[in-house]
Amino acid sequence: MRRPGSWCLWFLLSVATLLTACERPAEKVHHEQIFAFGTLVEITIAGTDEATAQRGSTAVIRTLNELHRRWHAWEPSPLTTLNEQLARGAATDVEADMLPVILAAQQLSRASDGLFNPALGRLLSHWGFQLEQRPEEVPPPHPDAVRELLAQHPSMEDLHVENGQLRSANPAVQLDFGAYLKGYGVDLAIEALQQLGIAHAIVNAGGDLRAIGRRGERPWRVGIRDPRGPGVLASLQIEGDECVFTSGDYERYFDHEGVRYHHILDPRTGYPARGTTSVTVVHGSGAAADAAATALFIAGPERWRETARAMGIEHVMLVDAAGKVWATPGLAARLTFESAQPPEMEVVTLP
Amino acid sequence: MTRADVIAVVLAVVMLPFLYVSFWGNEGVADTIRVHSVEGIITLPLTAHRRLHVQGPLGASVLEVSEGRVRFVASPCRGQQCVHSGWLSRAGDVAACLPNGVTVAVTGRQPRYDAINF
Repeated sequence: MRRPGSWCLWFLLSVATLLTACERPAEKVHHEQIFAFGTLVEITIAGTDEATAQRGSTAVIRTLNELHRRWHAWEPSPLTTLNEQLARGAATDVEADMLPVILAAQQLSRASDGLFNPALGRLLSHWGFQLEQRPEEVPPPHPDAVRELLAQHPSMEDLHVENGQLRSANPAVQLDFGAYLKGYGVDLAIEALQQLGIAHAIVNAGGDLRAIGRRGERPWRVGIRDPRGPGVLASLQIEGDECVFTSGDYERYFDHEGVRYHHILDPRTGYPARGTTSVTVVHGSGAAADAAATALFIAGPERWRETARAMGIEHVMLVDAAGKVWATPGLAARLTFESAQPPEMEVVTLP
Repeated sequence: MTRADVIAVVLAVVMLPFLYVSFWGNEGVADTIRVHSVEGIITLPLTAHRRLHVQGPLGASVLEVSEGRVRFVASPCRGQQCVHSGWLSRAGDVAACLPNGVTVAVTGRQPRYDAINF
């Protein structure tokens, strides 16, 4: 008969063995950070071998760089050529795969009641927000210049397709897809990965991302940056295929005579939209999420719910100027606030 | 119980907390800083105490690592958003100077987040 000490020994060794047996398999994750598309792009790929992941990264970089080249709004590109033609009122040929993108943006603009308005490129240019490095000393545009431009009402509705050619009824229309292209870009990037058989990945283009699949045995974890601090405000888990897009007043701005001017311009006033600090949209399509984040930011705490409904967006979090969080029930249930003192949050249903 | 039994039991008891920490307890613990620039990637422990001068297209971005935290002290960009980001200390925290092509990320063995949305 064994002595009691041996039983004790065997018991403890069994527990130790079981513990090691329960080790979560170390998921091999390919992670790459590159500068592409005029921003920092992070590519995270799981569940595949290193060679495939490397091919995936290369495909994403190629896709985004090509998009950047073709849709650049102020450096010579097919888009600037198109803008010159539109300003002349001439019917112009558009590269075959560019037209559907423009028409999809037109639909999103219509659904947002013009709050997402990529036809207002000239307004961004007046403000200097098209420049990579806006000189700090340049003041805001003269109010007359803004008023004059808005009086011409450049809108996506001015664009018409005739016999496969695009024409603008309004010479003030200048297309700038800055608030849309990142979304369209991550959609294309994820498509490129899927074509290589990659099913688990995140493409994060300058903070806006699309995630597919999961990270090994668990869902992807995404942290949403605190708009007023360095840390994370809230996190959520993603499993399957979803985009997380945020528009915030902290992304691009300048200070002039004690006033802060950010880059999200209200097409109705020509000035930075006030009342909102950030809007986060979780949605299946990156292009729609990108456009909606901008439109809902501009709609502001009073009107964002109506705009979200009209654009078919269900998962929204808005942080208003006072720091209060508003969220739709679907997203509120998924958010985990990360700070010791969570912000005041109101859950609101869409009309 | 023989002396060997006693040693084995003591070892097993000592090993249990180690195994626990090793397999479950380390999640999200920040231990490394990854600096990415046009010059490449620099990795250093979060426990370091030093200033880093990282070259980018606009000049040198200055990073400070101290007491388990890292921050941009200066950068030759206009917006200074990177400097305004302040101290980073948790795994998954990221700050970037996009104009100068420099990013700094705090990472751990198991990062708390797979991506940061902003």
